[in-house]
Amino acid sequence: MSPITIELKPRTKDLLPGMHLREGATIDAQPMAAEPDAVFDLRDVAVLYGDFVAVRGISLGIERHEITALIGPSGCGKSTLLRSLNRMNDLIPGAHVSGQITYNGEDIYHADVDPVEVRRRIGMVFQKPNPFPKSIYDNVAFGPRLNGFRGDMDELVERSLRGAALWDEVKDKLRANGLSLSGGQQQRLCIARAIATEPDVILMDEPCSALDPIATLRIEELMHELKANYTIIIVTHNMQQAARVSDRTAFLTVNVDDRLGMRTGELVEFDRTDRIFTSPADKRTEDYITGRFG
Amino acid sequence: MTSAMDREPGHGHGALRPTFEEQLQSAKDDVLRLGSMVEDQLQRAGRALVERDVELADKVRWADEEVNTLQGLVTQQITAVIARQGPMARDIRELLSLYHAAAELERMGDYAVNIAKLAQQLAAEPEIPILRQIPRMEELCREQLRAAMRALVDVSEEAARAVCARDDEIDHLYNSVYEDTMALMTAAPDKVRQATHMLFAAHHLERLGDRVTNIGEDVVFLATGHIEDLNP
Repeated sequence: MSPITIELKPRTKDLLPGMHLREGATIDAQPMAAEPDAVFDLRDVAVLYGDFVAVRGISLGIERHEITALIGPSGCGKSTLLRSLNRMNDLIPGAHVSGQITYNGEDIYHADVDPVEVRRRIGMVFQKPNPFPKSIYDNVAFGPRLNGFRGDMDELVERSLRGAALWDEVKDKLRANGLSLSGGQQQRLCIARAIATEPDVILMDEPCSALDPIATLRIEELMHELKANYTIIIVTHNMQQAARVSDRTAFLTVNVDDRLGMRTGELVEFDRTDRIFTSPADKRTEDYITGRFG
Repeated sequence: MTSAMDREPGHGHGALRPTFEEQLQSAKDDVLRLGSMVEDQLQRAGRALVERDVELADKVRWADEEVNTLQGLVTQQITAVIARQGPMARDIRELLSLYHAAAELERMGDYAVNIAKLAQQLAAEPEIPILRQIPRMEELCREQLRAAMRALVDVSEEAARAVCARDDEIDHLYNSVYEDTMALMTAAPDKVRQATHMLFAAHHLERLGDRVTNIGEDVVFLATGHIEDLNP
């Protein structure tokens, strides 16, 4: 086999201002295991907290403009894995990631990569809506201001609120406190806040678990709309939700080491969602999604 | 290292969802009941044909209502389970297979009624011997139906494939009835009506056999998740 030469496309570098390689550093050019348009490519990823291995052996590709769901029982490491994708685990003392996570072809854990820039490109929405105790307007404008945005802020706020399907409900009270909104509206405000910094990817950690069914369906519909412009990765305990919204689903389970008393998350199966929920290949997936193992 | 799943007491036995298991079992029981009703209908229709028993044929025609009612019940039951329990993976395949099997059984019941009607028409004509292939087809159809229902209960891919393969015997007998009835019509134009009735009866049995293979295909889908045409 002849050696593979890959010329770094300008795209790869330009996409990530602030994410520059050290001078003289080289990138190992390897054929990608993930499909050509993968946003993330994970190779044998493990996340450790000190000596504790929370999740390990994760290899998968996240496709652009798709919704990928991470499902699995409590303690399987799905939230940990999600948080490793925008280096949120860096904030936890002792947390450490091994293996390789590339985002648009670049290693996000490279020593010269700025984690703040990573989090700007890869936004996050949390389980409990957490708007700042500020006006609706300021909640959305907060990130762009921090990033030194110098364009038309009114326009950006409106565009973000429209993108989060919240504009019509709040356009007449942009100065009202974000905390005065209903739970579902607050969560959409958080989504507006996340998309205001114009990210590429939105990570969602159980975004609907604190919402009622109608607010949940609105968020799910919103996710379908957002897919056109963003790549979404969602952690959910609600399997019907994973089945309804996602294009691909990864099922993780937890293995118990009796000797060490260690519970470690592992990837069991990753496939198209219709396949996972109609004919999963692995019996453990089948048992979990049919409720034979909870 | 052991998987946490291996320690779960309910693993693989459905102990976590007894209500769902009960509902699934109930739908399964009703489909089996439907299967045995249709088998019975077919046997009586076949006997009415051979024995020129007009009253028995009438009973078959009346009893079709029960088949239809039970099929309606199964449809309602399965719709409710899907709506309320959100079944996934093998569970949803099983429910859809049962739903489809019930629809096929209802149609088979209609073929039994058609044969009962032909028995009455034949009984109104001067008597001629029934071609021996027809009772054989009827018997084979019942054996196939029983085997398909067994395969469905056991979720046996192997048994389902065997059922589908055996349909050729029914097709072969049907071709033979076709040849014999054509010969009879040519040789004895005064027996054209009886010959046509017999040909139609054989045709209904041949169609019924195909419906049985559809259930076989459902079982393969249920067992493997793959859709295959096993009666091309």
